Amino acid sequence: MDIETVKERAAPRAFSPKDDMPEEYRKAATRMIQFHANSEIMGAYLERPFIRQAPSLDRKLAFSAKVQDEIGHGQLLYRAAESLGIKTREEMLEELATGDGKFLNCFHYPMEEWVETPMIGFFVDGAAMRRQATLKRSSWEPYAHAMDKVCFEEGFHVKHGEDILRELATGSRAERERLQEAFETWWPRIIQFFGPTDDKSTHHDFASEVGLKQLSNDELRNAFLNAYIPKAEKYGLEIPEEPRIRKRDDGTYRVVEDDLDWDEFFTVAKNDYEGSHVQIGKRHDTQEAVEWVRTVLDEHEQTSMGTAPAAAD
Amino acid sequence: MIWEVFRQEKPGGYHTHCGNVHAPDAEMAKLFAEVQHGRRKPTNSLWVVPQPEIAEVDAEDTTFGGTTDKSYRWAMTYTGVDASFAEEVAESQREQETADREREEVTAGGNS
Ligand SMILES: [Fe+2]
Repeated sequence: MDIETVKERAAPRAFSPKDDMPEEYRKAATRMIQFHANSEIMGAYLERPFIRQAPSLDRKLAFSAKVQDEIGHGQLLYRAAESLGIKTREEMLEELATGDGKFLNCFHYPMEEWVETPMIGFFVDGAAMRRQATLKRSSWEPYAHAMDKVCFEEGFHVKHGEDILRELATGSRAERERLQEAFETWWPRIIQFFGPTDDKSTHHDFASEVGLKQLSNDELRNAFLNAYIPKAEKYGLEIPEEPRIRKRDDGTYRVVEDDLDWDEFFTVAKNDYEGSHVQIGKRHDTQEAVEWVRTVLDEHEQTSMGTAPAAAD
Repeated sequence: MIWEVFRQEKPGGYHTHCGNVHAPDAEMAKLFAEVQHGRRKPTNSLWVVPQPEIAEVDAEDTTFGGTTDKSYRWAMTYTGVDASFAEEVAESQREQETADREREEVTAGGNS
């Protein structure tokens, strides 16, 4: 299929591994899905310490279930990415370990305090879910199918995140103050979750023309602000003065983008931020520590399946 | 050999199991599946899978979902917060409620 035909036929779930897709499409889809898969994994690593640090048994159980879900989402998405025939799962996991694999900006920052957990668990997951819901209509069928399952599970994550937020927001004054501080630290990053405004985003045009994504950065950010600013306010959080956010007459928001630190954003995007090295390093070490498990499983697969597996489908 | 047949109704949909056919090879299995399962029900695609290749675990072998209370995994457990502010969160919760209800019906009705 040539690119023009792809653009003509682009529709929700229109293309599957049966279709002979041009390399440009397969590469763009791989980049997008691999980024998404990497982000699931890196998000899980960021939250993992809170299985131990959770203040109650219920929270501990919920965090362990959530981390498990996120790793599962990563695996699901590597499968969807792999089906494009550009990279194998092993290659993508390897790229994540070496620091070549890219992932969401918010997961490049350390998260150390319990009071920070709703910043990821409610706001970042909420933002991600807004985006993922639109990707159920992606033109790459395996991606859309993965989103069905991810969105089904994700409602628990967002509500659990909000439940922690609610608890902290109705807690002691000291707790509320620390919550506000955490919010101020995370808010600009959360706004940057959606990337730079449309005319600065490099990959958007093609991805939307071939139906890989449905909404632009601006539209998604706007949809996020619409639902989540009222939530922040409901819990007594004060929206930081910067970045300045103006409500337009039509109800949409305008973010003054110059108030955001884009140098930092693009350093993060290149995996070159201080926190990038820390987070990638942490995962790399964990991967290495359990290398023997993968080796044993691979050997077992070789002997029980006879020949080299993953060859053809 | 027996081949299990999976039918996809519309492009982009899921292939779901719809029956099986006897056939000596994949080509014949596809043909028989087409005749038996692709004629009347809406069909966009069929998969045929050799039955011996399918591994199964069922409710007699295991307890799906575990034996302990795992309500912390469900959106509807968190009753202090409301899902309706975001349609996708509300939808996820509705799907989870349905799944939970169906699970309970199956458990209550035995595994027959
Ligand atoms: Fe996830």
